[in-house]
Amino acid sequence: MEARSSLAMQKSDIKQLCSSRVPSVMSSSLPVLPALEERYPALPDSQQVSMERELRSEPVTSCHTPFISNSGSIGPLFSSAPGFSSDLHFSSVAPIDRQTITTPLVSQSSKSGMWFPAQLHSGASQTSLNNFARESPDVSWPPVSLQGVIDNSGAVTNQVQSNCIMVSDDKQDDIWSDLIADEWKELLNDPNSTDTQPKEPYSLGQASSNISAHRPQTHLAVPSHSGEHYAATSPTSGTNNASAKPRMRWTPELHECFVEAVNQLGGSEKATPKGVLKLMKVDGLTIYHVKSHLQKYRTARYRPDSSEGTSEKKVSLIEGVSSLDLKTGIEITEALRLQMEVQKRLHEQLEIQRNLQLRIEEQGRYLQMMFEQQCKTGMDKLKASPSQSSDPTGLTQTVEAAPSDSVSAKPTESLEQKKTTENEPENIDILDEAHPPPKRLKGAEHDLQ
Amino acid sequence: MKFGKRLKKQIEDTIPEWRDKFLAYKDLKKLVKLMSITPSSSTDLKVEEEFIHLLNSEIDKFNGFFMEQEEEFIIRLRELKERIQSVISTAHEQSEAVYAAEMWRLRKDIVNFHGEMVLLENYSSINYTGLAKILKKYDKRTGGLLRLPFIEKVLKQPFFTTDLISKLVKECEDTIEQVFEVPQENAKLGRPEVVAEEGAEQSIFRNTVAALVTMREMRKGSSTYGRFSLPPMSLPDIDLAQHLQLPSPIPS
Repeated sequence: MEARSSLAMQKSDIKQLCSSRVPSVMSSSLPVLPALEERYPALPDSQQVSMERELRSEPVTSCHTPFISNSGSIGPLFSSAPGFSSDLHFSSVAPIDRQTITTPLVSQSSKSGMWFPAQLHSGASQTSLNNFARESPDVSWPPVSLQGVIDNSGAVTNQVQSNCIMVSDDKQDDIWSDLIADEWKELLNDPNSTDTQPKEPYSLGQASSNISAHRPQTHLAVPSHSGEHYAATSPTSGTNNASAKPRMRWTPELHECFVEAVNQLGGSEKATPKGVLKLMKVDGLTIYHVKSHLQKYRTARYRPDSSEGTSEKKVSLIEGVSSLDLKTGIEITEALRLQMEVQKRLHEQLEIQRNLQLRIEEQGRYLQMMFEQQCKTGMDKLKASPSQSSDPTGLTQTVEAAPSDSVSAKPTESLEQKKTTENEPENIDILDEAHPPPKRLKGAEHDLQ
Repeated sequence: MKFGKRLKKQIEDTIPEWRDKFLAYKDLKKLVKLMSITPSSSTDLKVEEEFIHLLNSEIDKFNGFFMEQEEEFIIRLRELKERIQSVISTAHEQSEAVYAAEMWRLRKDIVNFHGEMVLLENYSSINYTGLAKILKKYDKRTGGLLRLPFIEKVLKQPFFTTDLISKLVKECEDTIEQVFEVPQENAKLGRPEVVAEEGAEQSIFRNTVAALVTMREMRKGSSTYGRFSLPPMSLPDIDLAQHLQLPSPIPS
């Protein structure tokens, strides 16, 4: 199977590399990193040494588990990634602009790739980085050295992760997913700290790690298109679920690439998944993805074909009923038009509704944040000087009187009263914009975008 | 229970293959009812776990289904466009009758395709609403804080990020303009088969209407209006009393 052979090939490459530069820790089954050699030279020696030392000290799996996926794709890989990337500082790729992240592979040789699954959603990784900085002081990777790496390279490529993605071997995935489960859990102090809010009683940690697994997405470094490709895999619900069900989020551009490849190979019938995969040269794409997509493609082509094949029959039918056709034709057109109108209307309304929902939630979050801040400062002030002016005291009284539900109306309302004068043009705008007729919303919609 | 009933109705009306892909609202409600007011006992924790677990698996289900449909739509849209091109370009080669027939079918297919995509958007919306509601119920019942973080994550899920579908819908609409612009001298040649095949488009049409109506109903008014409630829909041809929807936290 192709995946296996490529895997084997990469392994041998790695062994080569490993013997020269990399600590022995890395030489075990890594599907990874022909990039290693490129990466290391980019580091100043001292940093490299320190990295090597760190590598040695960490368990074996630390190096390569990120590349494993439970299901042969990137997804579950990232599901654990927020945990370890944050702990290992690799989310320090965050500052890097999205554009550079999807730099095509041509730049592979020159960049020092961040071998860890670069959390390419800079938002997500930023959070994880922040969390990491706050919460895991005892992880030994010095952030500085990695920053140095990033500064040197100026761009992060997915080369490493791309190279490792061809792992669609289920058996190995099983092993590695177990490794992820066990070793990472003990490696991390707080495995789910990055994405959970600290609400222990709700075993949210567990839930959120699950949920956080939904979020990470990888960018495919497709040569033709940058910044728009997603290979988001939806993880299976169990963390240790080793079922091979990678879910890829296709885009029209990716599909175009696919069709080109298929056409080059002589059409949807002649093309094989293997061939298409090779031609497409898209990182993050597994043969499994291609296979299922090809199947869908074939089905889609055959359905219209079969009905068109009966065109002769149709002609005779049509010619047989000429006199009544004028009316029928017009009626049909009208029916279609009506249908279109209703559909368009529904689409519009759904869009509007969705935007509203987004903004409502955003507003809710904002208020929540303000409330919490106010709570905090209120408490602080209260502690600082008991005999304050009426404002903070009034506020803290309100705070104390508040029910446990943090988003209840009352305290936030009084909060709003106090804050209105200060600094909430944003908030007011949001609220106002939530009310208006659709037209204005559409304008606001553009703002959001 | 209103939402539950509406959801049920939507499910009944929807495309048959989609029926089991919707939110298991009832089951989630049952779990919520099992929770006691103050989550203290161990059974509570178990129920909660189950609740969260079910939520997660539902979300997975949505994501999976949604992305598959999305993929198919991408493929089909492209195929439709190709079809249009080929029909238009080979128009001169064929007899009027054949050309007309093909155009008709094309039009019908495109309109139905458009409808399916919009229904997928609706699917996303309904499930989101269901999630939001059930989370609200949960928090209300247990005084908990599950809703906010959960919803935040839901907002980022593939099934809720419908931008691509939106884009496809718009593309489709543009393409439809193209197709319907083609000179209508073929109007005199009707398509008897259309009558026969109306099953598919009728169901899509019916679904669409049902979806619109449901949306309107759901947003008309509620006993639990709060900051997170949506205002009523403003459909110009639907008569709705205009009153303040979102309670403004900012005093006038």
